[in-house]
Parts: sequence; C-alpha cells; structure tokens
Amino acid sequence: MDHILKINELSKSFGDKSVLDNLSINIERNKSQVIIGGSGTGKSVLLKCILGLIEPDSGEIFFNQQILNKKNRADIDFHSKIGMLFQGAALFDSLNVQENITFGIKKLDSNHGNLIEIAVDKLKKVGLDSSVLYLYPSELSGGMQKRVALARAIARNPELLFFDEPTTGLDPIMADVINNLINEVIEEVGATAITITHDMESAKKIADKISMLYKGAVIWTGDAMDIKSSNNPYVDQFIKGSSDGPIKINPND
Amino acid sequence: MYRYIYIIPEAIGRSVLKICASIGRIAIFFYDFVVCLFTPPIYIKSLLGQLVRIGYNSLPVIGLTAFFTGGVLALQIYVGGSRFNAENIVASIVALGITRELGPVIAGLMLAGRVSASISAEIATMRVTEQIDALITLSTNPMKYLVVPRVLAAVISLPILVIIADIIGIMGGFVVGTKTLGFIEQSYIKNTLDIIELRDVMSGLIKAAVFGFIVAFMGCYHGYNSTGGAQGVGRSTTLAVVSASILILASNYILTSLVFTN
Ligand SMILES: Nc1ncnc2c1ncn2[C@@H]1O[C@H](COP(=O)(O)OP(=O)(O)OP(=O)(O)O)[C@@H](O)[C@H]1O
Ligand SMILES: [Mg+2]
Repeated sequence: MDHILKINELSKSFGDKSVLDNLSINIERNKSQVIIGGSGTGKSVLLKCILGLIEPDSGEIFFNQQILNKKNRADIDFHSKIGMLFQGAALFDSLNVQENITFGIKKLDSNHGNLIEIAVDKLKKVGLDSSVLYLYPSELSGGMQKRVALARAIARNPELLFFDEPTTGLDPIMADVINNLINEVIEEVGATAITITHDMESAKKIADKISMLYKGAVIWTGDAMDIKSSNNPYVDQFIKGSSDGPIKINPND
Repeated sequence: MYRYIYIIPEAIGRSVLKICASIGRIAIFFYDFVVCLFTPPIYIKSLLGQLVRIGYNSLPVIGLTAFFTGGVLALQIYVGGSRFNAENIVASIVALGITRELGPVIAGLMLAGRVSASISAEIATMRVTEQIDALITLSTNPMKYLVVPRVLAAVISLPILVIIADIIGIMGGFVVGTKTLGFIEQSYIKNTLDIIELRDVMSGLIKAAVFGFIVAFMGCYHGYNSTGGAQGVGRSTTLAVVSASILILASNYILTSLVFTN
C-alpha cells in the first residue's frame, strides 16, 4: 500500500503531562484521512509534530519513505510540499488578504500580476470574491478569516494538506462549501488531506478513512462508511455525542 | 525544623540556574540571529518598513526629549558653575554631556520604551496566534523575516537618531543659555564648537549602534519566546522594556569605562 506519511510510535509530553502516547498511524496517498477525537486529546499537537513546529520526545515520521527530522525537512523542502490550515486561521495581521494568500509563492516563480490572479482564483475556490483582496484580517469575520487561511493553504498546490478544524466557526452552508472544496482539491490536484474535525457531518462527507484519537493514541481506524458499525464503544459514544459511555470528561485533563 | 535551613540556599540555587538558563537561551537566539544575518534571503522591503517604523517614527519623541534634556542641563550646570564663578563652562559641558552620554543614553532609553515594547508585543502576538508557526509552514524562516530586519533597522537608525538628538539637545542648551541665562549667542556657539571633537561624537554613535542592537534584540527575543496568551504578551513586553533599559545602562558604563574614557 502506498503511504505518503507513516508515523511510528510518536510520543510527546509537556512537563509530566503526556499528550501523545506511542501514537502510530499511516496515511494513504490521495485519500482523505479524517482524525476525530475529543478536545485536548492531542490532535493539534500531532499535526504540529509532523510539521516540525513541536519536537516529539520519541518516535519517527516518514514522508514519502524519507524520515522527517529537523535537518531533513529543510533538505527535502518539506514545507513547500504541504499546506496547513491552522485552527485559529493564523493570518498575518500586517498583510492584506492577497499578500496572505500568495505569501508562500516566491516572487521569482511568477510575476506580480500573476500573484493577484492566483489570489483571486483561490478566493473563488473558498467562496469569496475579489472585493476582499485588499482588506486586512482584522476587517474580516471569523469565518471569512478561516476561508482566507484555507485559500492560503492551497495556494501552492501542495501534495499534502493539513486542515485543523476547517469547518468550525462556519455556518452550515459555508461548511458544506468547504467540505466540497476539500473533496475537490483531493480529486483535482491529487492531494492527500489530513483533516481534524469535531464535525461528524463534515467527517462523513469528506473522509475516505477515519481515525479516532483518545488519550494520545489511535484507538480506531477504518473506512468512513464503517464508522457506524465499528463496535467500538468510544467511537459510538463520540459519533452519538453522548455524555455517557467510556469517555469521561475529567476536569483535570 | 532543619528543612528550613535549606530554603535560602535553594532559592539562590534556583535563581542562579534560571539566570544561567536564560543566558543560554539568549546565546542560542543570538547564534541563530548571526547565522540568519549572513545567509540569504534578505527581506529588503521588510527592512525598509522597519527603518521607517523604528527610525523615522521615533524622531518626534527623540527630538523632544533631547531638546528638554539640553535645556535642563544648561540650567543645572549654570547653578553648579556659578558656585565657583565658572558659569562660562555651560556651553562646553552641555556639548560634551549631550554628545558623549545623554544623547545616546536618552535616545536608547526612549527607544527601549517605544520600540522594544512594540516589537515584543507584535512578535509575541504573532507567537500566540500561531502566525510564527504559519510562517514556518510557508517555508519562511521567522528569524530572517521578523528578527533580522528589526535588529538591522534599529542598529542603523539609532546612530542617525543620535546625531539628530545631539544637534537638538545642544540647541536646547543654546536656547536656554541665550534666552534665560543671558549668554551671548556668538560666544555660546564658539564655545560649543571649540570643545567638541570628532571622537566625542563618534563614541556616542558607536554606543548608539550598540543600544540599537540591544533594544531590537531584546524586543525580538522576549516576543519570540512568549508563552501563555494575552497575559504572556503583556509579560514579554514588560520584560523586553526592563531588560533593554538595564542592558543599555550597564553596557553604557562598560563601554565608557573600557573604551571611551579619554
Ligand atoms: N505548547 C504547549 N505547552 C504545553 N501544553 C500544551 C502545548 N500544546 C498543547 N498542550 C496540551 O496538549 C494537550 C493537547 O492539545 P491539542 O491542542 O493537541 O488538543 P486538540 O486535540 O487539538 O484539542 P481541540 O480539539 O480542543 O483543538 C492539551 O491538554 C494542551 O493543554
Ligand atoms: Mg486542536
């Protein structure tokens, strides 16, 4: 099987608090992998470890069969092959929408007129038009910021996309636009997507595969259509959104 | 009971370790900075923007403080000088005091308040809102994109600001000297020009470059390593201003005593 990303026994603690605990997961190429799990189970930390923003305590990550570590990420130019949507959008306050979207595109690769065309094109994909091109992030609503951040994540046509809760903060219709967009990018560009979400509607719509994270480890992985019949009490509780079941809300966690 | 004996040595040990750890972190940050300074790409547009923000926009603040400092210096030296009938030294001491000490130190301290604070608040906000992480995922080295232009801009700007502060400060002394203390304009100017030598001005400008580095570097360092949300942003801003100010005064003493005593 062709795996674009392999993660072996990744662990990460902050102080004496273990967040990722020997987590292993393989991501198939050109598929849409969704990761679900309760708040604080380490989903964002997992993405940050892959991206090299957090140094894991132990474990290995392979991208296209090559190990990802501090040095190798630079050598294989890892970051130019990926796009990341941060949970809080993380747009650059000091730059306008157009500059934000085309930030990662080197001036050498294209002339200036082109950058604006690219920005308009990506904006259209996320359901915005060129009237926002010269606005600053502080002048946008939360949902618009999220979409601009999404446009920025796909601007370089990456082969691997990370979406950290792409639909939170969006109305149901816009959430659906984003779901369609994610499907589109995977089909058109042949990208692989790893999406973190709490939104089961969205998960059903975009996922080829779903994994569930609990206490820093993957407790279930399967095809999206099998999630209803997983027979896993944790998964069942999560998709039903019920407060009774094996997952207990511990205020100290 | 005997446990209490250890409280003080423990506290001392802990703070010594903490200080060593911060010195180590600053040294690593400095090393990264130097590496990034000498490797492409250089963000020229960003550098120019910072020159305007750090240099040009600080002009009014620095001009005003320099003017009043020169003025008050003239008043005080007149009081002191008149106690042994040496009022005539006002022009010379204002000129030397401003160019050698007060110009660079006051400009440095004003910049620590104005620029260290804003740099650190800005970078800390970028840190807590994950904009720095976003830079990395867009193949941009935050050290090169954020830190290098700010530090370079401050190192270039502060000496220029100090030249201006020197002129305005001496002018402040001149205005007070001739308008309220009754000195004759021509002789005040002559006394000023006679006493100042190139090395007085140069020593001030070298200090200014060092202070410029301290101001921007401390702002960047504390902002970059900020943690803990909005409160963390506030904390790193305070730390930046306090550490920049103390380092300016300490390095001023060291530079003066080691290099610029004649
Ligand atoms: N930089 C950090 N320093 C200390 N602790 C951290 C840090 N980043 C994350 N954590 C801790 O790690 C745990 C997992 O955080 P993470 O952000 O991965 O959660 P999550 O699964 O993404 O949750 P959510 O769905 O709410 O976004 C949390 O308990 C958090 O307190
Ligand atoms: Mg998260």
